[in-house]
Amino acid sequence: MAYKDFRDFLHTLEKEGQLLTISDEVKPEPDLAAANRALNNLGDKTPALFFNNIYGYTNARIAMNVMGSWPNHALMMGMPKNTPLKEQFFEFARRYEQFPVPVKREETAPFHEVEITEDINLFDILPLFRLNQGDGGFYLDKAILVSRDLDDPDTYGKQNVGLYRMQVKGKNRLGIQPVPQHDIAIHIRQAEERGENLKVAIALGCEPVITTAASTPLLYDQSEYEMAGAIQGEPYRVVKAKDADLDLPWGAEVILEGEVLAGEREYEGPFGEFTGHYSGGRAMPVIQINRVYHRKQPIFEHLYIGMPWTETDYMIGVNTSVPLFQQLKDAFPNEIVAVNAMYTHGLVAIISTKTRYGGFAKAVGMRALTTPHGLGYCKLVIVVDEEVDPFNLPQVMWALSTKLHPKHDAVIVPGLSILPLDPGSDPAGMTHKMILDATTPVAPDIRGHYSQSLDSPLGVAEWEKKLSRMLR
Amino acid sequence: MHICPRCESNRSEVVTRSPVKGAWEVLLCPVCLFTWRTSEPDSITDPAKYKSAFKVNPQDIPNAAHVPPIPERI
Ligand SMILES: [Zn+2]
Repeated sequence: MAYKDFRDFLHTLEKEGQLLTISDEVKPEPDLAAANRALNNLGDKTPALFFNNIYGYTNARIAMNVMGSWPNHALMMGMPKNTPLKEQFFEFARRYEQFPVPVKREETAPFHEVEITEDINLFDILPLFRLNQGDGGFYLDKAILVSRDLDDPDTYGKQNVGLYRMQVKGKNRLGIQPVPQHDIAIHIRQAEERGENLKVAIALGCEPVITTAASTPLLYDQSEYEMAGAIQGEPYRVVKAKDADLDLPWGAEVILEGEVLAGEREYEGPFGEFTGHYSGGRAMPVIQINRVYHRKQPIFEHLYIGMPWTETDYMIGVNTSVPLFQQLKDAFPNEIVAVNAMYTHGLVAIISTKTRYGGFAKAVGMRALTTPHGLGYCKLVIVVDEEVDPFNLPQVMWALSTKLHPKHDAVIVPGLSILPLDPGSDPAGMTHKMILDATTPVAPDIRGHYSQSLDSPLGVAEWEKKLSRMLR
Repeated sequence: MHICPRCESNRSEVVTRSPVKGAWEVLLCPVCLFTWRTSEPDSITDPAKYKSAFKVNPQDIPNAAHVPPIPERI
């Protein structure tokens, strides 16, 4: 089911009625961001946007919201566009277990068509624009960045492919925000301890499967390319970078090669983030770009990010939930049913589990806090019974309202780590965390009046079938 | 010469001009690294109308926290 390249996926979206082309002239600001924000306000089945008539540009083509809805997420996985979310979750989890699928190597790629090594000016090459009014500049926020572990360059999985926001701060300069919980921070530290620049490559306009793998909280030594292969069910195609021993996605529209400058920090931000708040301005590392290549007439992909929900939330919803699900299942294989960590990148996580004995659900909650993703997220963990669908918020609210006794079931663990972008963390990067146990107490935790749970009248299943036939 | 709407330095430079002649320029402030397009709304381009919560004092820039800190050479 693999998509050949970014354009192939856009064609599929168009064929499925999930791509809206805007041919009227739009201004780079504020129209591009405003149109996307408005689209995100219109529900969870929206199409991608394709702009081909942008004021001041002669032939800029910009795709946005490419994975910004559940139908587009289903199409990313090659599933019918109306696949229910819970089914997408379990199918993603099934493919996740096929990891690793080794990559397929190519010698050349379509992006080798045009190459620039002199007088690079990213402001000329890329149609850049502002997203939110307080942003300190123009950003690359859906580009993947590739780097390698310097201590162990031969372990394939330690080559990292990640999504990081990058501010364009000069003709060949980018600022990057390396959150300490993310792998790029490890590679930058290794290089700076040696006093060396860190070679990196950046790919824009990629097939959605590598963007998905790059935004999945994999373990440090798991390869995103080998995960992309697992998700698409066939080997992922890569080609070597020219200035470094780095693999690039074959289907990308634009490639930037460069290096993180050792020991340099430069003012960056603020940037409107997925938390629904601006990040503030801080001194961050700098990337110098030395080489650019791209397809003729490249399609520039961009992502609107801001107050949830935006494309980011669809992009990192299922693929954040699945690693937590798998890691919890490693600990409790017979109990864990499903995990919904879709809210604000898993700052809230809802876990559905069976309970073996009194206090069990709280242990499940504690385990979630100590998973690799939980260390930087999972500020509030809600644990519900196996019958409760964690993707069905009315059911989750029912569990909270009837199963939870604040005296017994609200656990606060002080002084834990969190990503510094959490605007409530104080100091940035530190927080208390809370587990809400909304499961039914079981022995020896004997409390409450839970022996008469409500059942349904006999024959409901037959009536459901009959009525849905009549309503067709 | 252009005034940076955010830190009000007067050192901003043109980094690109619109491919269609005369539509807009993109300017970059070398002091606070703010970037803007001349065709943006005046709440972005006019120093007097730029939101006060997002203003930057040039004197604060050298003191901005390093994220991440620069590690010791080993
Ligand atoms: Zn300035």
